[in-house]
Amino acid sequence: MRFDSSLYLIFLAVAVTVFWLIPARLRCIFVLVASAAFYAASSLFLISVPIAVAGLLYLFSRKIVAVPDNGKFWVRMGIGILVAQLLMFKYSGFLLQNVEQVVTAARHLNRCEKFGVPLGISFFTFEAISYLVDVRQKRIGRVSFIDLCIFMLFWPSVVAGPILRAREIVPQLRFRTNFEAHFIFGGLDRIIWGLVQKNVLANTLGVWVDRGFSARAMTPSTFDSWLLAVAFALQIYFDFAAYSSIAIGAARLLGITIPENFRQPYHAATPAEFWSRWHMSLSRWIRDYLFFPISARYKSAALPLYLSLIGVMGLVGLWHGAGWTFVVWGLIHGILLVLYRVYGTVAQSQAGSFTKAPREVWRVLTLVGVLAAWVPFRASTLAKAFSFWSRMFMHFVAGTSYGMTAYVFTAAAVLFCIIEPWLAGKFSAADMKLGTHGLNWGRIVLRPVAYCLGLLLFMIFDQQSAQFIYSKF
Amino acid sequence: MLPNRNIIRNAAFEAASEIVRQPVKDDVRLISSGMIDSLSVLRLITLIEKKLNVTIPTETLQPEDFDDLDLIVETVERVAKAGS
Repeated sequence: MRFDSSLYLIFLAVAVTVFWLIPARLRCIFVLVASAAFYAASSLFLISVPIAVAGLLYLFSRKIVAVPDNGKFWVRMGIGILVAQLLMFKYSGFLLQNVEQVVTAARHLNRCEKFGVPLGISFFTFEAISYLVDVRQKRIGRVSFIDLCIFMLFWPSVVAGPILRAREIVPQLRFRTNFEAHFIFGGLDRIIWGLVQKNVLANTLGVWVDRGFSARAMTPSTFDSWLLAVAFALQIYFDFAAYSSIAIGAARLLGITIPENFRQPYHAATPAEFWSRWHMSLSRWIRDYLFFPISARYKSAALPLYLSLIGVMGLVGLWHGAGWTFVVWGLIHGILLVLYRVYGTVAQSQAGSFTKAPREVWRVLTLVGVLAAWVPFRASTLAKAFSFWSRMFMHFVAGTSYGMTAYVFTAAAVLFCIIEPWLAGKFSAADMKLGTHGLNWGRIVLRPVAYCLGLLLFMIFDQQSAQFIYSKF
Repeated sequence: MLPNRNIIRNAAFEAASEIVRQPVKDDVRLISSGMIDSLSVLRLITLIEKKLNVTIPTETLQPEDFDDLDLIVETVERVAKAGS
């Protein structure tokens, strides 16, 4: 059930209405049933996977709490099982392709592919790992099986995040909050804005991107290569930001707050800043549960630290998809982060000799690096990505296969990105002025009119309906 | 032996200020505000270890344990107690 489908919007309206009408003590069970129904609508058989993961978390967390001295063993065992099921369902084909002649066992793993990939497996596996580690580190106590099932299946975020942490979400799962109108307004603001971003911006850009990156397409000219790289950078941002906005909005309708995923990432001045603004829930997870535990061992040794950073970013790429193009995307980001770090170390050792100029240079380098990295992420093969890079950076080829509309629309989307922080500030200030409580003209007139306009735009641009990119990961 | 709270706090202040290249205020969030990134938090730990002449085992820690000066003091005391 896609977030931008009529079926989902009907499901959401009914679920939220019932949620607020039933007694508070029944809401927990209702959210579990609604989440299970949402999941089962996509894959009835595979719902057993997240439920089995919840069962594993329940049993292992009891073991960790009961005998803390054995905690490390149970955490390692739990992470081993969780990673194994992720490999089995998502990466068996990729493993088989790459190690077929070496590991014959991979043939058996590949049988799991016929069952399909459980919805949101990359996301709920990371959530499960964070829970086990947090229990071991005493950041959260034991959680009931029902709450763990809701944590694993919570419908607003199960498809593609934001990646939740049990210690942030479980305390909210009592659902004891009284109904407040700002839950509905706040939720609808995010959902309708998400729908507009998806259909008007992401899907429109997606038409040109799909054409340019298709396997049969000729290698584009220099202008077109840059157009397609910029268009895809914008498409994936608007697409995933739209998905995240709808997820955050749906949770808000239930009075639940889940973490933000984006903060105008293309405004980042450095590669490190980009990762504090892009897919923030994943960045935080990688930092806390992968990079920090690995790199803390080498904290005083520069070379192993840098290699571990590049390796971790390669794994981040692999997490997005079972293919070398994704690994290359991650490695490019790893190299950018290391280059920036080396620059920082040199700059600090020569304090005072660097002016403001290098920061502006880094802003441009970051943007160009991020754009170049999106090319293999979107390209079907590495060869295709190299042909794009060749046209972008080395061999100038004049001409264009795209009309003025593609260039003007992409330029308008770039302009929107540039003024986005200013616009967000203006909307936030206007919203504060109108007030969040009681009846006022903003609530009675402005919001319904804005919602109608948003839905109208959503329907007008519904012709190029396309799946959310991150729901495939 | 673990130094007292004031000495730990001073060491944390000096280490954090050295990394962000300006004096760090008490209520400033170092990690969640983005002032200190994931690589710099490792340098922060190394600097505190050097200033206090102690080892901070990181196995049960996360970067957010170093989010402000109070948290750093609590974290250093906690891991020192667990290790003793």
